[in-house]
Amino acid sequence: MRNRVRQLREGVGLTQGELGEHLGVSRQTVNSIENGRYLPSLPLALALAHFFATIIEEIFTEEEGK
Amino acid sequence: MKTTHPRVRRALSAIVLAVGGLALSAAIWTSGSHGFALGVLAFYAVASMAAYRWAGGRSDLAAILGARGDERQRGLDRDATSIAGVSVMLVALVGAIVSVARTGNAGDFGVICLVGGTTYAAALAVLQRRR
Repeated sequence: MRNRVRQLREGVGLTQGELGEHLGVSRQTVNSIENGRYLPSLPLALALAHFFATIIEEIFTEEEGK
Repeated sequence: MKTTHPRVRRALSAIVLAVGGLALSAAIWTSGSHGFALGVLAFYAVASMAAYRWAGGRSDLAAILGARGDERQRGLDRDATSIAGVSVMLVALVGAIVSVARTGNAGDFGVICLVGGTTYAAALAVLQRRR
C-alpha cells in the first residue's frame, strides 16, 4: 500500500504530532503510517479521510504489481 | 480501561511490579533467605518506581506501560505478548519432553503446557464468536 498522508499533512502545515493529536494517535503512529510500516484500521483510515476532507481511495492506493 | 483515571493507568505496570515483587520477596523470606528477600524487595521497589516514571513519557513503550496506547501501540503490545507466550510454551514443551525422558512424568512443565494449551483453545473458542 502507498499513501499520501505525508503530502496531505504537509499541505495543511501540520507536524506529525499535531496530526496525531487531531486523530487521537501518537506521533510515532503517524510516522509509521507515512512510511508505510503500519496500515491503519478502517476507523483510523476513515478518520484520516474525514480530516483531510477526502475519501480513503485518495489517500491509500495499492502499489502496482501487488 | 477507557474510563480508568490516567494516573491509575500510568501506575498499572508499577503496581503489577510492586505486588509481584512483594509476593516474591515474601516467599523468599518464608524460605529463610532474609537477606536475599530484602534485596529482591529493593530491586522491585526501584523497578516499580522506574516503570511509573517511564510510563509518563511519550515513547511507544511508555504508552504501552501506561495502558494508554493507540491502535498501533496496542497491536505492538499484543504481538509482543503473543511472541512471549509462544516462547514460554516452546520452553515448557521442551522441558516437559526432557522431564518425561528423565523421570517418566512431565512435572511442572507439563502443567504449564496443559494450562497454555487449554487457555489457547478456550480463547480461540470465545474469540471466533466475537469476530
